[in-house]
Amino acid sequence: MKLYSIPLLLFVFLTLGCAHGSHLASSRTPTAVSLQPELITVGSGEEEALPKSPSILVESESESAGSNRTNDNDVNLDYVEEEGEKKKAGIADPLEPFNRAMYHFNDKLYFWVLKPVAQGYKKVVPETARVSVRNFFSNLAAPVRFVNCFLQANFSGAMTEAGRFLVNTIWGIGGFLDPASSKDIKLSKQDEDFGQTLGVYGLGQGFYINWPIFGPSSPRDTAGMVGDLFLHPFSYLNIAGDNSVGVRAYEKVNDNSLSIGDYESLKEAAIDPYVAIRDAYVQSRLKKVNAGRIKTTPVSTGEPNYAPGSGKVPEN
Amino acid sequence: MKRQISVFSISILLLLSLPVYAGAPLDAVQSNVNKVLEVLRDPKLKAASAKEIKKKMLLPIYERMFDGVELSRRSLARHWNAMNAAQRQEFVPLFRKVLEKAYIDKILAYTDEKIVFDRENMISGSQAEVQTRIVTSAKEVPITYRVILKGGDWKVYDVVIENVSLVLNYRTQFNDILAKNTVEYLLETLRKKVKGQ
Repeated sequence: MKLYSIPLLLFVFLTLGCAHGSHLASSRTPTAVSLQPELITVGSGEEEALPKSPSILVESESESAGSNRTNDNDVNLDYVEEEGEKKKAGIADPLEPFNRAMYHFNDKLYFWVLKPVAQGYKKVVPETARVSVRNFFSNLAAPVRFVNCFLQANFSGAMTEAGRFLVNTIWGIGGFLDPASSKDIKLSKQDEDFGQTLGVYGLGQGFYINWPIFGPSSPRDTAGMVGDLFLHPFSYLNIAGDNSVGVRAYEKVNDNSLSIGDYESLKEAAIDPYVAIRDAYVQSRLKKVNAGRIKTTPVSTGEPNYAPGSGKVPEN
Repeated sequence: MKRQISVFSISILLLLSLPVYAGAPLDAVQSNVNKVLEVLRDPKLKAASAKEIKKKMLLPIYERMFDGVELSRRSLARHWNAMNAAQRQEFVPLFRKVLEKAYIDKILAYTDEKIVFDRENMISGSQAEVQTRIVTSAKEVPITYRVILKGGDWKVYDVVIENVSLVLNYRTQFNDILAKNTVEYLLETLRKKVKGQ
């Protein structure tokens, strides 16, 4: 009887894990370079538009029947705050002069070093291989995500990560492929780290720190980054030997090669790129922590993200 | 027993029919996105010289899809209320042009990315979120469109990409600039940005 119950239990856990399929497998580290995907694709929302003078614009608006008058009235309407909006505020930035200097450093680092290296690498290595390399590194970091899901009492998430690790290591040829994310298995990556775990337990960001090389962070997320280092296999296994920094750098180059252009468009779209990147970082972290909180609370609505205006957003 | 079965089957029926009635915001976004894709995929417009034609064709689709005033109002938030009518009238098209300049090349570079429409959540009677994903061979980017019902049409007033809201991102930037400067300074910055690129 006992023999049967173990695989049965495992099956139940895995199925529970599947319920979290909505969590997307977008691996995002809090560095300036990797924050970009968001804004580029904003672009695909903004499809349109010709360089036009304001007067021509008014004409084009009046072309769509009847919309002109409503539009004029609309412009005269004041902005009314939505419920719970104040809580979405930003982050303290007492180190702004230092942070801005580091922003310029990281910017130059990207354009002078990281981007040319990634471009050269991209020319030599085909995309499928680079995606496989990314999968491999991501699979290695599974213990980090597993432990953090566990610490956040997100047990189905932890089981999902355990299942993913098994499936991808065995059927994914050591993690180079990601069969666990396929339609049939549907175990999606749980993007959890120790910074989020601390956040789920109520620790706020504190203030903004823009590290050289590592990019946007805060005291909480910096502590999280160090904490996660202890969970990463590189810190224990001798795979990387003394070259673990080199291996990490390679991982970064590989990631960059898959997102060239993202940082550029974010910078292009921003009025003040420093503030834009800081805000993108704050928004993204806050939303992840809130998603973690909702998963942890027993009264889950099955709604991974808070609805804007619901006023349920815990301050971070 | 019979009664239980009928209650069960009625509730199943209700569950099945719900999405049909709740689909308006998603349909609106999907039909507009499809119109954009039609232009981008048009084999007659493949040549590099057709870029300007494509831009011209995309403009009316954008006008139908997005609510430029709502986008500006929400990005400026309380600063919008402090602006006079003339400043607002100038800001709306300026802001649109800033976005256009930044993103048009990305949009025109579209190749064969798949766009998946996942679901919609009603925020209130007149506001909703439509969740979509752009799937490429290298990654999957979640994009949520926030839409508002105006004059019978669902119009996009915010785009959330991988957890970052466009409106909130610009709001932080505008707040930062307007904390130290005047509205005129912000308008001048935008004018320069539109001209300078």
